[in-house]
Amino acid sequence: MSGRDRRDAEHRTWDELAVGWALHALEPEDETEFGLHLAGCDRCRTTVADTTEVMGAMASDLPEAEPSEELRERLRAAVAATEQVHRPAPASTGRPAVIAVPTPIGVPTRRTGWRRAPQLLVAAGVAAVLGLGAWTVALTQDRDAAQATAASQASMMSSLLAPGELTVARMEHDGATVATVVARDGQAQVLTDGMATNDTTESTYVLWGVTSGQPVALGTFDVVSDATDLRTVGSDATGLDDYSAYAISLEPGRQAPTEPTDVVANGQVTS
Amino acid sequence: MGLVTRPARRADDAAADVELVRRLRAGDRGAVDDFYERFRRPAFALARRVVADDVLAEDVLQDVFLAVWKDPAAFDTARGSVASWLLAMVHHKAVDAVRREESHRRRQTRAEDDLRMSEPIAHRDVEDEAADRVVSARVRNALQSLPAPQREALTLAYYGGYTQREVAALTGTPLGTVKTRMLAGMRRLKDTLGGAVGSLAVEGGAR
Repeated sequence: MSGRDRRDAEHRTWDELAVGWALHALEPEDETEFGLHLAGCDRCRTTVADTTEVMGAMASDLPEAEPSEELRERLRAAVAATEQVHRPAPASTGRPAVIAVPTPIGVPTRRTGWRRAPQLLVAAGVAAVLGLGAWTVALTQDRDAAQATAASQASMMSSLLAPGELTVARMEHDGATVATVVARDGQAQVLTDGMATNDTTESTYVLWGVTSGQPVALGTFDVVSDATDLRTVGSDATGLDDYSAYAISLEPGRQAPTEPTDVVANGQVTS
Repeated sequence: MGLVTRPARRADDAAADVELVRRLRAGDRGAVDDFYERFRRPAFALARRVVADDVLAEDVLQDVFLAVWKDPAAFDTARGSVASWLLAMVHHKAVDAVRREESHRRRQTRAEDDLRMSEPIAHRDVEDEAADRVVSARVRNALQSLPAPQREALTLAYYGGYTQREVAALTGTPLGTVKTRMLAGMRRLKDTLGGAVGSLAVEGGAR
């Protein structure tokens, strides 16, 4: 085996992940791992770019389709009402900006780590909240896309980005992030993304704080949209950042029970 | 247009695309119209293939074109064509949308259709220019020349929006094998399609 072949063999796993990355087909854990690798690997950036070009070609093999005339008008109106993002000067390293760090290692479950870093949010970390999928690491391009999304949801963002110390937590179900809990003293908010809506007449979601294994109901909230939505948890609890974990349960009735019946998502504090 | 050969037009198109991005960066709202005019059809064709719903596909398009307006500097000219960049964004947002919107059950039933789509299909004669037929036929031939398991894995991931693990489950294949097939298939497609790949991306979008 030549040196080149050996390098190829050693790098093969990354090559495979690069193709999956471009196809947006990686599992969250692979996506996190590969995102870190990609930032420093020119070979993988080339593989991603090559795959992207092939994907573009694959798009040409589709039945032609014309969007409605209304869409053009809708877009025009949205553009007229939208200001452009003014990005800071690009980093001089020529490498993508890594805006969030990987989840802590050594967590045996599929729970994803928590971050306790207000400056992360205020600086460029909107993506860390909005990029609910698995974008714990975002490349420049993705970060900007996320910021663009953020800009369109200004009220949600201004609420999230209010000054003060806060704790951000990604809540997972079956390995997928379905919500992010943003807790600050006296108030907890849940940014949902893809959680099932509940029947607001006969059920409610409950946010639980967990200390030494004992869950404490922090308040109830409803999910009214399966798209990204920010829900404020009815709660006047203090010391929210003292909890070592959070959980979300779906409960029959409109009151929080003394302990959760059906936990639908959870995440652990690792800071 | 009749006097202009298509390869020449493609090169012109690539330059025109970069110029469009430059206008967007300069804050020219009218450039969004032109950008939309140029890419709306391939973008819509891709989005509706992935989400299988015209209304949702239009939402995806609005998201994408608005994002392009907001931050055109996200396009890195050093890597790839404007067309591929745009279509990758469409793909990404369409996959996100379908994962949000589709219940697991619906995905299961649709998976059967997606598996069928990976089979060789009769040519759909929907394009009116012979050159376009040549181009899409070339892509189709390249896909059909892949070993069936590779084609199936790539088709499910790209057109179906499935993750590697979902593809593994759908095809009864170990995850590692799926990853290997996707890499091998992509390499083969790249070799087959060659350097012309980038310019293939917007056939049908420029007329």
